[in-house]
Amino acid sequence: MSNKLIDIVNVSKSFGDNLVLDDLNLYIRENEFLTLLGPSGCGKTTLLRIIGGFETPDTGKVIFDGKDITDLAPNKRQLNTVFQKYALFTNMTIAENIAFGLKIKGKTKSYINDKIRYALKLVNLEGFEDRTPDSLSGGQQQRIAIARAIVNEPKVLLLDEPLGALDLKLRQDMQYELIRLKNELGITFVYVTHDQEEALTMSDTIVVMNQGYIQQIGTPEDIYNEPKNAFVADFIGESNILPATMVQDKLVKILGASFPCVDVGFGRNRPVDAVIRPEDIDLVKPEDGIIEGVVTHLIFKGVHYEMEVTANNFEWLVHSTDMVEVGTEVGIQVNPFDIQIMKKPESEDAEAVTIEE
Amino acid sequence: MMKSVLQRVYLTLILILLYAPIVTLMILSFNKSKSRSKWGGFTTRWYVELFRNDQIMNALYTTLIIALLSALIATVIGTAAAIGIQALRNRFRTFMMGVTNIPMLNADIVTGISLMLLFIAFRFSLGFSTILLAHITFNIPYVILSVTPKLKQTNKSTYEAALDLGASPVHAFFKVVFPDILPGVSSGFLLAFTMSLDDFIITHFTKGPGVDTLSTKIYSEVRKGIKPEMYALSTIMFVTVLLLLILVNISPEEKQGRRREPVKLQRRHKLSRLLFRKIVPVMMAVVVIVGGVFYGSRADNGGNNQVIVYNWGEYLDPDAIAMFEEETGIDVVYEEFETNEIMYPKIQSGAIAYDVVCPSDYMIQRMIENNLLAEIDFSNIPNIKEIGDTYMEMSRQFDPDNKYSVPYTWGTVGILYNKTMVDEPIDSWSVLWDEKYKDNILMQDSVRDAFGITLKYLGYSLNSTDLDELEAAKKLLIEQKPLVQAYVIDQVRDKMIGNEAAIGVIYSGEAIYTQWENPDLQYVIPKEGSNVWVDSWVIPKNAKHKENAETFINFLCRPDIAKMNFDYITYSTPNVGGRALIEDESLRNNPIAFPPAKDLDRCETFRFLGDENDAIYNELWREVKSK
Amino acid sequence: MKNKHKKMKQLLAGPYMFWCAAFIIIPLLMILYYGFTGKNGGFTFLNIARITTPENLKALGLALLLSFVSTVFCLILAYPLSMILTNLGVNQQSFIVLIFILPMWMNFLLRTLAWQNLLEKNGIINVVLELLHLPSLDIINTPYAIVLGMVYNFLPFMVLPIYNVLSKIDKDIIAAARDLGANSVQTFLRIILPLSVPGIISGVTMVFVPALTTFVISDLLGGSKILLIGNVIEQEFKQGSNWHVGSGLSLVLMVFIIISMALIAKYDKDGEGTAF
Repeated sequence: MSNKLIDIVNVSKSFGDNLVLDDLNLYIRENEFLTLLGPSGCGKTTLLRIIGGFETPDTGKVIFDGKDITDLAPNKRQLNTVFQKYALFTNMTIAENIAFGLKIKGKTKSYINDKIRYALKLVNLEGFEDRTPDSLSGGQQQRIAIARAIVNEPKVLLLDEPLGALDLKLRQDMQYELIRLKNELGITFVYVTHDQEEALTMSDTIVVMNQGYIQQIGTPEDIYNEPKNAFVADFIGESNILPATMVQDKLVKILGASFPCVDVGFGRNRPVDAVIRPEDIDLVKPEDGIIEGVVTHLIFKGVHYEMEVTANNFEWLVHSTDMVEVGTEVGIQVNPFDIQIMKKPESEDAEAVTIEE
Repeated sequence: MMKSVLQRVYLTLILILLYAPIVTLMILSFNKSKSRSKWGGFTTRWYVELFRNDQIMNALYTTLIIALLSALIATVIGTAAAIGIQALRNRFRTFMMGVTNIPMLNADIVTGISLMLLFIAFRFSLGFSTILLAHITFNIPYVILSVTPKLKQTNKSTYEAALDLGASPVHAFFKVVFPDILPGVSSGFLLAFTMSLDDFIITHFTKGPGVDTLSTKIYSEVRKGIKPEMYALSTIMFVTVLLLLILVNISPEEKQGRRREPVKLQRRHKLSRLLFRKIVPVMMAVVVIVGGVFYGSRADNGGNNQVIVYNWGEYLDPDAIAMFEEETGIDVVYEEFETNEIMYPKIQSGAIAYDVVCPSDYMIQRMIENNLLAEIDFSNIPNIKEIGDTYMEMSRQFDPDNKYSVPYTWGTVGILYNKTMVDEPIDSWSVLWDEKYKDNILMQDSVRDAFGITLKYLGYSLNSTDLDELEAAKKLLIEQKPLVQAYVIDQVRDKMIGNEAAIGVIYSGEAIYTQWENPDLQYVIPKEGSNVWVDSWVIPKNAKHKENAETFINFLCRPDIAKMNFDYITYSTPNVGGRALIEDESLRNNPIAFPPAKDLDRCETFRFLGDENDAIYNELWREVKSK
Repeated sequence: MKNKHKKMKQLLAGPYMFWCAAFIIIPLLMILYYGFTGKNGGFTFLNIARITTPENLKALGLALLLSFVSTVFCLILAYPLSMILTNLGVNQQSFIVLIFILPMWMNFLLRTLAWQNLLEKNGIINVVLELLHLPSLDIINTPYAIVLGMVYNFLPFMVLPIYNVLSKIDKDIIAAARDLGANSVQTFLRIILPLSVPGIISGVTMVFVPALTTFVISDLLGGSKILLIGNVIEQEFKQGSNWHVGSGLSLVLMVFIIISMALIAKYDKDGEGTAF
């Protein structure tokens, strides 16, 4: 799990005037499930297509297993792609689709037949050999697309939002299926998605991207619990992002009230952003809280209640398993470990705080 | 890089192939010479003359109005049909789509013929309305096929949502579904319009007298030589459409990627979109309609007081027609034919009631024998006295009592040769079989002329019905075929002027004009003898305006009109009074137009040989042509 | 409620169905009637049998040959062209289509006639060739000129349907083939070509049928030396004035048209390959 399989070095790419990737560096380790996560237009798909060989970077290099493959044609690369809209060959049966890569490589008939059977079993679609792609549901087509890719035994499987077109239930089933597949095959997955839940569920490593820049790289826990900037915080899960001042180490002033925290090294009286997850806010009696407020909205969400508390002219988003009636006066209390302090971005460009939907 | 250069080269080559003929036509529109094959210097004259030429402008507006109407009607019926067909049950839908494919895939010739048979069987009078019906018929499928895919793409639930929100089905359709399929509808309309504009074959079979679209007008002119105004018109039309296209494509389209444009610019875009999408097309439509009404009102204001004339192409000075209309107040509906054989079935079928027709000698005989002609009341034609006795005598060969016909023109068939391209003076048909002139010979493309020449060369009568003689002639014609550059009718004129061939068989009437254009050309009646022919005016039995027809014939027999007409068409006139009025001595006594009697002694007139013999001739001729 | 709407929608097809019956089906029945009757009205196969005379067979054979050659040429020219056009990008699509429809605004007869000017012995092409000291091109009034005229006139009908199917092929499908190891030739042969079959079939019929039945092109560019089946039929109607034989021969032509329709129905079920 340690050696670098793919190394992306100083890659830039633009389409016309539109700079999509700017001097990007990233490495992918062997056997890793790495997810490129970001809103649409952040450059994640372009990066995947550069790895797959469908785009050539304007500058920079792609190193695969120690070899420079920047200008290598896609058909010469030891990796395979699962496309967003499956891209099955409609003029062929399922078996022919799966056999496509193997036939090109000139494998024997019996080998190909074995592989087809193996792959269909792997994706739970035994007996579908002679069906046509049109007769399959979206989820089935997706699994065929995966089967078609993995029979070639690639070192890396690239997946471009493969679950995007599926409904929620199917999506969740397929997530587990993909994790199972990855474990059975023991190969590297590079996965592109804009769905943070998908990323958090499946990945070993998440790369959060926005406007052509990498915003943060880390494990799902890192990304969720310690977002490096407001963009990541806002994009991953729901959060309260509050303008704040770092009074001194371990003390931050939010909306005029002082909160103890655990962060150090931000200097004295520096403007910062404070992130507090809604489930980390405890609602207590007014006199026990750091700030007092009034519950203004209440919605039942199944697992929890979602509430809005207006305090110091800010609407705090709060998740709690306990219901508090609208109009109740409450106090807000936060555990120091649950306050995440982030530097204010120095320039808008470099950190790209705004989110474009 | 290399690849994209190659692609560009390939694309350019294809575009050159596509547009070379168009550029050629544009260049021709500035050619001073009337002949297609000679560059006579630069002129813009044809562009001016074009607007004075009522015939062409009429054809243009007929074409545009038929295209517009047929495209509009087809769009309405077709769009409705596409929606209806979508709602049909599966099997029935497949059947309807199959039927829809028929006019698209069926050969134009079969479609045209089948519609003609229908119209004639149900006694539609062939004319504007039959062309319109035919065009709508072949246009609907184009609309259906461009609307259906868009219809399949539309989201059904939006229509249902509109109903749910209280819209009536009609309202819901126009507010919700229609905007979605609009691109399909408009491209269907455009396609239908273009197809209608470009159609020739179907119009050719379904049109009636007096109505011409540009296509049929051009086809009737092909044999006589296209009028240069036609090139000018095509150029104008083409350039107009090209400009419109460029405007439409440059203007709006840039929707994506420019969201942050200043409001002012956006407004300007909106304005230009409005301009190109709405105003320009509307203006075009207005021009077409107003122009159509304008030329239409000029064309027929005579109502019932008219005369329907069926004449050879380019065989009457248009100014003479204008004068006739002015003097008599009778409206002339003028229609042209290319050969006697094409004219005959139209008269015979009675589908169209022509008032006055101009067939040749043998065809007149055939029409008399088949009881198709009415006796002419000569008391209405006092000017008959101007026609020379010789010619009345000549007419007796096919109209023994001079009861049915009034001679209009006459002439001989001979050889036109280019002095610079032959070695010796030519005086015999034998040159047509001379290996030396391989690919330099232009032969007449009509049965009787081709066989007539050959029979004469063999020393037989050109009215022979002797099978052995005909067989011998056929053999000779087959022998001759490899030497022939092309079988033509009137194109021989242009080709000889343009030095395309050394020798051509031609009617004497054409020879004078070709000599004017190319002084190297010489006309000769071969020593073996040839055909002397007469074209005369006759009145079909089913004519509806017989008296007007007689007034018309009388008018053409007036010496000043005969002279004027001779100047225009250069075919020999039998009108003695008219001939006397020709100022130019060399023309008045031109040996081509008015050959000495001794030359005519060796010549014969064609006679009608009976349907059976006609069939034999046709069969033998086809054997020649298909060898 | 829903059913009522469906009924109403079906009614919309009414006028067209009437139109089809009146102006498509009945006229075809008329041809059928004429084709199977003699001049005196009796039933006969003689009109159809006329196709077996050596001249008519030859005209049919030649028409088949020339239209086949033209179709092949059109296909060879149009396929790469459509691929190039597809690669040019999407937003010029309508413009590209219009470039191929645009020539139709110059009359078909005039365009064909212009080829006479270009090809003639002293025509424009030969003048240019002479200036370049190249051997002259002598194809006017030969079958070659007819083929050229057919290819020129019908090329757009081949380009448009092929372009249409090619531009609809998902770029990812081609990427997928490359990704699975196919080189560009393999991708073309195994993916692009099979997927474009509906367009090819539709293009082939749209070129082959009009080429098979034309009489104008052979007239204008063949110097009337070359008789095609279309010329024979035209002459039967317009000159020989024998509508019965003409109808009989038209029926023979219909056989080829029906074959093409069957082909389209088989390979292009969804109407993907329609030209426009």
